[in-house]
Amino acid sequence: MRTLIADLFGKSPFGPIVEHSKKVHECVELLWPLMEALVAEEYEKIRKLHSKMSRLEHEADLIKHEIRSFISRRYFLPVDRSDLVNFLARQEKIADLAEDFAVVLTLRDTRVHPSIHDLFFSYLHQVFQVSGTLLTAAVEFKNLAEAAFAGAEAESVLHLIENLGEEEWKTDKLSRKLSRAVYALEGEVELLNILFYEKMVIMLGSIANQAENAGDYLRVMIEKR
Amino acid sequence: MDFYIIGLTALLGLYMAWNIGANDVANSMADAVGSNAISIRNGVIAAGICEFAGAVLVGAQVTNTVRKGIVDPAVLMAMPGISHQEAAIILVIGMSAALLSAAFWLHFSTMYGMPVSTTHSIVGAVAGFGVVAAGWHAVNWAKMGQIVASWFISPVAGGMMAFLLFKYISGAILGNDRPARAAIFHIPFITFLLTATVLLATIYKGLKHVIKNIEWLTDSRALTLSLATSLLAAVGSYFVARKKLAGRDDDPLGEQLEAVERMFVPMVVISSCSVAFAHGANDVANSVGPLAAIVHVLKTSTIDMKVPVPLWILALGGGGIVLGLATYGYKVMMTVGTKITEITPSRGVAADIAATATVLACTRLSLPVSTTHTLVGAILGIGLARGLGGINRRIVTSIFGSWLFTVPAAALMSVVFFVVGRFFFFDTLRQVINP
Repeated sequence: MRTLIADLFGKSPFGPIVEHSKKVHECVELLWPLMEALVAEEYEKIRKLHSKMSRLEHEADLIKHEIRSFISRRYFLPVDRSDLVNFLARQEKIADLAEDFAVVLTLRDTRVHPSIHDLFFSYLHQVFQVSGTLLTAAVEFKNLAEAAFAGAEAESVLHLIENLGEEEWKTDKLSRKLSRAVYALEGEVELLNILFYEKMVIMLGSIANQAENAGDYLRVMIEKR
Repeated sequence: MDFYIIGLTALLGLYMAWNIGANDVANSMADAVGSNAISIRNGVIAAGICEFAGAVLVGAQVTNTVRKGIVDPAVLMAMPGISHQEAAIILVIGMSAALLSAAFWLHFSTMYGMPVSTTHSIVGAVAGFGVVAAGWHAVNWAKMGQIVASWFISPVAGGMMAFLLFKYISGAILGNDRPARAAIFHIPFITFLLTATVLLATIYKGLKHVIKNIEWLTDSRALTLSLATSLLAAVGSYFVARKKLAGRDDDPLGEQLEAVERMFVPMVVISSCSVAFAHGANDVANSVGPLAAIVHVLKTSTIDMKVPVPLWILALGGGGIVLGLATYGYKVMMTVGTKITEITPSRGVAADIAATATVLACTRLSLPVSTTHTLVGAILGIGLARGLGGINRRIVTSIFGSWLFTVPAAALMSVVFFVVGRFFFFDTLRQVINP
């Protein structure tokens, strides 16, 4: 019976979950200097930023694997195991999409037309809002584990997730506005550039979508037992 | 000659008690040490004091059960064709065999890292020799049934109580908008519960063998005294809580929760000490129950065991436990202290109160139960209430496995030792035990 009580406690996933969220958000934040470099046509810098992004995404992957490895079917968790796994998968997707975006930027030295610079940056800023809200919610998860997933703390995280939905909706609206501006450049700009801009808009939009999906799983984890 | 036999069996009892101290006590203090509420060194000291106190103050009832409740000496005596003297000899040999086999089994399983209950071992061993010595009827199967039932009921009861307690703590305090304020209000209730549990179990119908007949300590007075002291403790805790937690209403939720957990720190130390107390009370019997039987037979040459368990035997057991704790249990506590990152003081308090109440209730009912299994049940109860990040289900299944294994293994070993002992020592003892 030596360390029976000590052996009884399995590793908690909630600390590593926060680590994963922070790492994923770091990937997202790297999009801003990437965008700036693109606009300034510093194509070499884009390549450097991409390798940094790649490394960050890999680190997030490792954290995810670590969490999944010690949550086996045999653990007695306070949240539903498959919901937890799905949440991590969605969050991981965000990092993947950010990396894909960086890759796309390295594939072709594209010039961004000055008329859409500001729109792109405000769109990116809005995507950051979504990702940042998800990060806050995930970080609050630590407090939630302390409060046993009930009460005021749960309410506040659920409220945050609602905000997440709103921010994602705003992102959608901005995305439509930006797309219209891009298509309006028909004739002024190379066709391939227009398609490239569209690709960028869609990818950034996916990031916001995945963040909202991840938030959904967070909600389910809190409410379901 | 008398002296040698008593001395030898006392050494055996001491060895068993040492094993209990070395392996079990760390589990009692796990919640306080694991949540970093107390340093390992202080944990060992506190545990030592509480274990000894529990053993001496409340240990007599379960010791009595092991001494005469499982194998009824009267039935032994009443067997046809056996003289009083022979029955006495059989009892001495049998109890020694039981003690030896239980201690052996414990040592063996510790070497191989298997989780084993000291309580299950000794009860199995005593029942084992009883069946072989005097047939099926020598064992009080009604009592055995009660005991085995309590082995299933105690973890479940501990679990349910811990579940309810933690639901209360998480609902009323941790889940509140303003946890600091809620804590000031509710902590006195929790303190009351903790103090009342320990005091009631100790002094209600209690201390007769320690302090001979304090005239005014009648049952109802004991009740009022416990409740009054608990009330005092509760009021005291209110003032302390108010001092530490007042004026935090506008702090961020995370900080409030941290402050509340800090408030639970002294409480979890006290609650873990109470578990150590309960453990001492219930488990000392595992080492000195058989010894008490042997000493009685040798001193009085009778099997009639209406005389209460002598204090020095309980003190010997308590001392052995403390010795085991101080020499080896320290190391085990270090493992406990470093490996548990999950337990927070609030969870610890809920688990401890549940375990203490259950074990002390069983002790007062003269039922030997496994303190560690009860604690495990309590922790599982908290896990069910979503209080823990993760529980290792593999350990839970290994515990259930060891249950089925321990009793027959210890019984078998005891039978072997008994038969061997009877072959070699029966005649020697004839000279010692004169009717």
